[in-house]
Amino acid sequence: MILKKTTLSFATSLLLSFLASPAGAATLSASVTENGKAQLGNAVVYAIPDAGLSAAEKNAGMKIVDQIDKEFVPRVSVIQTGASVEFPNHDKIRHHVYSFSPAKSFEIPLYKGTPADPIKFDQPGVVKLGCNIHDWMGANIFITDTPYFGISDANGNVVLRDLPAGNYKIFVWHPQQSTDTNSTAQQVALKDTGSQAVSFTVEKKKQWIPFRAPTSAGGGY
Amino acid sequence: MRGVATSVFQFKYFRTRLLVFLVSLLGVVLGAVFFSVNQANISNARLHLEETLQITAKTFAKSLKDREQILTEKVRLLSGDFAFKSAFATHDPETIKSALENHRQRVGANIMMLLAMDGEIIADTMHSVEHKAAPALKDLLKQAMGSSHGEASAIQIFDNVAYQMVVVPLFTPEPSAWILIGFVINDNFALEQREFTHSEVSLLYLSSGKSWQIISSTLQNEEKLQLSEAIASKTAPTDQVFDLLLQNEEYLSLALGVQKGGVGQGLAILQRSLDTALAPYLRLRVLMLTLFGIGLAMSVVGALMIARGLSHPIEQLVKTARRIEGGDYSKGVKIERSDEIGTLANSFNSMVEGLAERDKVQSLLGKVVSREVADELLNKGIELGGEEREVTVLFSDIRDFTRFCERHAPNEVLDLLNRYLTHMSDSVEVHGGVVDKYIGDAIMALFGAPVFHPESPQQAVNCALEMLSELRLLNEELAKDGLQPLSIGIGINTGKVVAGNMGSVNRLNYTVIGDGVNLASRLEGLTKQYGVEIIVSQSTRDLCPDLHFRELDLVQVKGKTEPVAIFEPLSVADTSSGSCKSVLDQYHVAIAQYRSREWDVAEKLLNQLIVCDRDRKIYQLYLARIINFRQNPPSSDWDGVAVFTQK
Repeated sequence: MILKKTTLSFATSLLLSFLASPAGAATLSASVTENGKAQLGNAVVYAIPDAGLSAAEKNAGMKIVDQIDKEFVPRVSVIQTGASVEFPNHDKIRHHVYSFSPAKSFEIPLYKGTPADPIKFDQPGVVKLGCNIHDWMGANIFITDTPYFGISDANGNVVLRDLPAGNYKIFVWHPQQSTDTNSTAQQVALKDTGSQAVSFTVEKKKQWIPFRAPTSAGGGY
Repeated sequence: MRGVATSVFQFKYFRTRLLVFLVSLLGVVLGAVFFSVNQANISNARLHLEETLQITAKTFAKSLKDREQILTEKVRLLSGDFAFKSAFATHDPETIKSALENHRQRVGANIMMLLAMDGEIIADTMHSVEHKAAPALKDLLKQAMGSSHGEASAIQIFDNVAYQMVVVPLFTPEPSAWILIGFVINDNFALEQREFTHSEVSLLYLSSGKSWQIISSTLQNEEKLQLSEAIASKTAPTDQVFDLLLQNEEYLSLALGVQKGGVGQGLAILQRSLDTALAPYLRLRVLMLTLFGIGLAMSVVGALMIARGLSHPIEQLVKTARRIEGGDYSKGVKIERSDEIGTLANSFNSMVEGLAERDKVQSLLGKVVSREVADELLNKGIELGGEEREVTVLFSDIRDFTRFCERHAPNEVLDLLNRYLTHMSDSVEVHGGVVDKYIGDAIMALFGAPVFHPESPQQAVNCALEMLSELRLLNEELAKDGLQPLSIGIGINTGKVVAGNMGSVNRLNYTVIGDGVNLASRLEGLTKQYGVEIIVSQSTRDLCPDLHFRELDLVQVKGKTEPVAIFEPLSVADTSSGSCKSVLDQYHVAIAQYRSREWDVAEKLLNQLIVCDRDRKIYQLYLARIINFRQNPPSSDWDGVAVFTQK
C-alpha cells in the first residue's frame, strides 16, 4: 500500500462581514492541497460545534446524484443526516444503483429516468455507491449530523459560511483518505465576525480502480 | 628387392598397389564427404534447434502471459458478480464460503479464498493452507497492492502443490476484500505446453530458502532428477541455449525466467532432443554409410578386376616369355583386347614370331653351316669379302665311294652317307673344327676359322685320328648291317688363306680359299698312293710339337712348284710301343739314304723294315723307286722330290 504524503496548506483569514452575513456568523476558509503541490478536490470539510447541535440546525434537505455518461456526478456528495438523495439517470441505458455500506444499504434495480422515491439517509457515515452493471461507476455520499460542511473545489478550497461563533472541531474527509477523520481533525474557535483559515494534512491511500469498459461498442476481439 | 630400401608404397603385386591406392583415395574422399556432411548436418540441426528454441521461448512466454491473463479475467468476472457482492455484504461466513465454493467451480479453479484488505482470511475453500499460506499470500497481496488495478498473479506452493494464484480486489464498489483463486500446476500443464511448443517443457520454482523444485514437466522421473540437479549445481543462463545431458540424451535447453520478485522465482526450461532432431539425418547417415560401403566394395572389386585385367595378361606374358627363354616358340600369348595390353600382346606375339624365326634361321644356319660360322654371320652381319688368316684345312674323302654308289640304291647311299657324315662332323666339332662344306662324300673342315685358336693344327690332326677311330666304330655298325666297311683318306694342311663370305650378294658362303686349301685337297688325294689314311703337310706338322709323325715323302703336287714334305701322323697307340721308335728312326734313316742316292743302304734298311711290316706300302713304294732309279738313275739335279702331275 503506497501512501502519498499530502500536505495541505491552509490560509485562514477572518473577514469582518457583518453586513454581508447574519449577525453573529463567522466564515471558515479551508484549502486542501495534495502533497504540498496539487490541490485536492472532492474533500469534505465539516465543522462540529463543541456545544452540540440544536434542533434548528437540523436540516433535512435534498441532494441529487446524477448518472451521466455511465458515471456518477458528482463523485462526492455531503448531506446532513436525514436528508434524501435522488438518483436521476440521464443515460439512455439503465443503471442499477446500489450500496452495501452499513450507513445505508439499498438497491435501485435497473431503471431509467428519476426513480419515484428518493433515498433517505438517516444515519451518519459513508455510503459507497456503485452500479451493478458498470463496475467502474462509483460515488460517495458523506452523511454527517452537522449542517456545516462543504466540498473542496478543484483548487482544494472550501468555504463554510454562517457559522455561529463558538468552538468547533473541523474535520476533513476524502474518499481515499487512509487515516480516520479524527486524526486530522482540528479545533477552531470562531468569533462572531471574521474569517478563519484552517489547514489539514491527510494521507491518501492507493485506490484500485475497476476496469472501465470501452466507451464505444466494439474494439478488441 | 635387394639393395633397395623397401618403401611402404612398394608392393609385390600391382593388384595390392592399385587396391591400396584406390581404396585409400576413395576412403579419403568418402571420409571427407562423410565428415563434412556429418558436421554440417549436426551443426545445422543445432542451429535450427537453437533458433526454434528461441522462437518457442517467445511463444511460450507469450502463452504463459496469456494464460495468466485469461485466469485473471476469469477471476475478475467473479469479483464483479453482484450476487457474490451481495453474499459478501451479508458478512455471514458460511454464506460467503458457500459462494466461494460455487464460484470456484464456475471457473474450474482448485482453490479459492477471500481475504480482508489487511490480509486476514475471511473464507477459503481449503482449510489446511490457512497457516502455511500466510507468508506466500502476503507477498502476493503486496504485489497486488502495488499494481494499478489491485491485481496480481504468481506461482505459489501450498502443501507441496503448485498453484497459479490470481488475486483481484472485490469491489463493493470500493475495494473491500481480496479474492484469491488458485489453479493447480502439474505435469498436465507441461504436457499441454508440449502440444504446441513441440519441446520438452519443465517449470521450476524457487521459493525463498529452498532449492529449485520441478513443479511441472514433460520429462520422465529420472530426467527430472537430473534436470533439477543440473539447475541446482549451476545457475542456468537465461535466454541462452545450453546443452544438457539427460539420461544420455543430449538436449538443447533454454531457460526462461517466468517469475521474479518477492513471490518466488519461476523458471521455465524448454528442451529439444538433439537426437530426435537428428533422427532423419541419422537415417540418411545409415543410408550414406551403406552407399559408401557399397561404393568402396565395388571399387575394391573393380580394382581387383582392373588389376586382374592387367596382371593376368602380364602373368601370361611372363609365362610365355619364360617358355620362350626355354626355347619354346610354339605358342604366343592369347590376349584378344583392343587396348594397350592388346597392343602389347600383339607386339609380344610379333616379337615371339620374330624370335622364333631368328632362332629357326640360327639353328638352320647351324645345320647348313657350322655353329661358329652361323654365330659369326649373325653377329658380324653378312658382308661379302674376307680376311687373310692362317687356317688348318682338313679334307676327307671316302675311297671307292663311286663304286659303292653304283652297287646301292640312292636312298641307301644317302642313308649311309648321312650316318658317316654325322659321325665325322661330330668329331670335327669335338675338336673345335668347323665343317666348311660337304662335297659329296668329301668333307672340308676348317680349324682356326672363323675363330682363331693357336692349337688349331694339333686339333685338326687329333680330329683326323679320331675320325679314323670313329670310322672303325661305324664300320662295326655297318658290318652288323651287312655292309662293306668304308675307308677314308684325310689330308691336312696349315697355311694362309682368305676367309670370308664369298658368293653373290644374295647367296653366299662363309668359306676359305687359297693354296693352303688346294694343298690339303691334294694331300688327301695322295693318301691312296702312300697307303696311309692321313697325310699332313710340313707346315701342319711343324705346328704339332707334341705329336709323332712318319715322314712320307717330298712331293711336288700338281699346280705347285715348291716341294712339300708330307707326313703321316701316328696315333698314341702306334707310338706307345718301344720298338716303334726304333722302327721309325730306321725308316727315316732309310729315307735320308734314299735321297742321298745311297740305293743299297736304303734298300737294305727298308728290306729289314719290311720283314716286320709287310703291309706297309711306303716301304714297298721306296723299294720299287730304288729298283727303278738303279735302272734309270735320276737326273743330277734330283733332290728326292716326287712329282705328281695328276690331281
